[in-house]
Amino acid sequence: MAGIHVKGASRSFGSVRAVDQVDLEIGEGEFFTLLGPSGCGKTTLLRMIAGFCELDAGEIRFGDKRIDKLSAHRRDVGMVFQNYAVFPNLTVAGNVAYGLRARRVPAAEIGSQVEAALGMVQLGGYGERMPHQLSGGQLQRVAIARALVIRPQVLLFDEPLSNLDARLRVSMRAEIRQLQQSLGITAVYVTHDQEEAMSVSDRIGLMNQGRLEQVGVPSEIYRKPATRFAAEFMGTTNLLEARQLGLAAPVTVSLRPEALRLADEAPADWPRLAGTIAALEMLGPLTRLDVALANGTVLRLAMLDQPQRPLQAGAPVTVAYDPARLVIVP
Amino acid sequence: MTLSIPHQQRLPLMIAILGFLFLGLFLLWPLANVFGASLLDSEGAQFTFGNYTRMLGRPYYRTAIANTLGIGAAATILTTVISVPFAFALARLPVAGKQAVQAMAALPLVLPSFVSAYAIVLLLGNAGIVTRWLHDHGIAIGSIYGATGIILVYALTLYPYVLLPTVAAFKAVDVSMEEAALGLGSSPGRAVRTVILPIVLPAILAGGLLVFIETLENFGVPFVLAEDMPIFSVEAFKLFIGETAANPAQAGVLGVLLILTTALVLLVQRRFLSRRRFATNARAAPPLLRVGWGLRIAATLYCWTIVLLALVPFFAIVVLSFMEFRGPVLHEHFSLGNFAGFYDKAMRPLANTLIFASLASLCVTLVGVPIGYVVTRWRSGTATVLDVVATLPFAVAGTVLAIGFVMSFNAGWLVLTGGPLILVLAYTVRKVPFAVRSAGAIVHQIDVSLEEASVSLGRSPLQTFLRIVAPLMVGGILSGIVLTWVTVASELSATVVLYSGDWRTLTVVMFQSLEGGGAGLATAASTVLIVVTLLPIALLYRLVRRYELG
Repeated sequence: MAGIHVKGASRSFGSVRAVDQVDLEIGEGEFFTLLGPSGCGKTTLLRMIAGFCELDAGEIRFGDKRIDKLSAHRRDVGMVFQNYAVFPNLTVAGNVAYGLRARRVPAAEIGSQVEAALGMVQLGGYGERMPHQLSGGQLQRVAIARALVIRPQVLLFDEPLSNLDARLRVSMRAEIRQLQQSLGITAVYVTHDQEEAMSVSDRIGLMNQGRLEQVGVPSEIYRKPATRFAAEFMGTTNLLEARQLGLAAPVTVSLRPEALRLADEAPADWPRLAGTIAALEMLGPLTRLDVALANGTVLRLAMLDQPQRPLQAGAPVTVAYDPARLVIVP
Repeated sequence: MTLSIPHQQRLPLMIAILGFLFLGLFLLWPLANVFGASLLDSEGAQFTFGNYTRMLGRPYYRTAIANTLGIGAAATILTTVISVPFAFALARLPVAGKQAVQAMAALPLVLPSFVSAYAIVLLLGNAGIVTRWLHDHGIAIGSIYGATGIILVYALTLYPYVLLPTVAAFKAVDVSMEEAALGLGSSPGRAVRTVILPIVLPAILAGGLLVFIETLENFGVPFVLAEDMPIFSVEAFKLFIGETAANPAQAGVLGVLLILTTALVLLVQRRFLSRRRFATNARAAPPLLRVGWGLRIAATLYCWTIVLLALVPFFAIVVLSFMEFRGPVLHEHFSLGNFAGFYDKAMRPLANTLIFASLASLCVTLVGVPIGYVVTRWRSGTATVLDVVATLPFAVAGTVLAIGFVMSFNAGWLVLTGGPLILVLAYTVRKVPFAVRSAGAIVHQIDVSLEEASVSLGRSPLQTFLRIVAPLMVGGILSGIVLTWVTVASELSATVVLYSGDWRTLTVVMFQSLEGGGAGLATAASTVLIVVTLLPIALLYRLVRRYELG
């Protein structure tokens, strides 16, 4: 187990700077997520750590040991792939034992270690099955067991849940988080799904155009976005010029939809704004409103379902916002 | 000294270097010698274009060029005209016994074409059985020798080259495109013309091109059927082996011209096809069309006629091999005499054929599969060059490659002429492009992340290749080995230049008995060759079936 230290890592493909001067410190046992839109460089950075992508410049260390020039098969990482990458020609047990055999673990120990690893991912007794007999979720569990059983220094996840259906994604991410915590292995997780990132991570590194846009704990990144991009990528927000809210300062601000309420439910000291309901979206637990202000600004507002309160598009409405949640973005 | 080669590139680079060494020594070097010989004067001292001007100045060789190209073009057109409706019928029409038709339609690819040519001579030649029978009934048929016979045999033996890819293309057409055309008001005929044919055209052209190249390179068919008509590959052989005086320079000229022609055709095809590639995303093959009984019967008759016509010569020669020949003259009663003769004279060549085919398939696999892996997985300039070099043998006629082999390995530090190894190496080089293509296609199906998973679990790239990639490729490699084996067993064009003394093969036995009038031995050898080619195919088919069912 070791922390990961990335210094000045860069890589270009043709004229595209896929990863551009990235510095990153990931602590021992930390669950760190690289989050960003497709093409932002998060997968390239992960593949640099795994050893599947050369660095043009910079270095990567696991603890004190520099590894960026080391062959991928000598790096001691466990990797979980988006498309599972379970060897179709081996049984489930054969897959899990693969890394142990490569490490010349005595045959007598392999069996018990494989069974223990399969137990951890709730696949006890599946050892003799062939991969084509398993579902997508089960295949990904095999892949996780295979990566965990070698007790790697670093565990890497490359969008491991994006091929699974929505319900399974939610339960699997909790399991992954729980496994990582119980084993205390340093983990780097790549995803483009901000909700997934927030649910599993100790810290998130938000990437855009090959650069780290913001690094921080999930709540901080959500509540205090350092840039316009961070504000917009981490869920819905209202990005406004301050004067649109009737404020004097010449700055851009971000205001999350849930920081707005209907005026009669808001504390008295929250600033009020009058407008009309331009659109109404009922999402079950949440109701979303687009409120058009007199000056033409449209504010997005989200509130919990309120069955006793009839709302209608076109109706006049007064809203209020929490001034403490107004974030200035550069 | 530290290696500055990035670690993930070491294995591909190593394979590429070994590949270049092999192909450099056994492909580029012989070809360079052919070029060299064609550019030197008779003393071998002065650089000159004289050989070219002299050869091209002689009407005889100009006729040879015209004949070869003309016959090739005619055969290609005939093949395409036959195959496209056939392919459409197989893909979209209800044809009775379709599975059997499909299985039999692939057979001409593995059966030796010059056996078919020889059977045609025995049946329809000047003294052929059918010719004589018709003559006795007062009917005279035209001569089968020359262009007519050659084109006929090419069409019957090469049509699968167009048929198979075209069937696949017809099946790959997304049915919704057709429905869109019909929905926009096209008649079904117009939909076929304006929507389906353009999508299928690249496959037809690619297949046609294969046919054309095969006709340029083919030695056996014109050798049997051309009579006095000069044909490129046969003339190159005659010039090199030289009944009077061997003339490597002039043989070299013909060889170079042949290579340039093929290369030109390939280039034209690449340019043309690269501008016309359509991606379709059909999920399932389009459904069969609903047609009336008339069309259904016509389609069935058409498919069966072609498939059976192509196989009749092979069937006939098997039957004929059990009849008595006195010299070249056939007596129509049962006899095992031909096989007795075969047992006396041709057991050693049979053994040679089996051994050479086995060794060559092994070598082709060892050389071609790693190269196919590298050119598919590794995107770099080196890989592209390797791909081009490994495809090159495809454009080189067997006769020309063999001439280069003799020029290169007759003296110096590596002498191979007169032994068996030179045959195995020539076969290997000739079949490498096919192994590279088929291995590449299989590798393409194997997800890269499987390899990355193995590497990240601690296996080196080489171990990963052996433990993960190779086992996953085994099925495909096995079919590749069988196909190589079968085509090597019936190879004639390089063999006929390179064989010597004890190292004759079955095809050489046939070739010699054709020259010497030993028709009986030739038919027996043909039958044995047909069995030798069909047996592994049948075994493979059973194996694949069992694998799929299990």
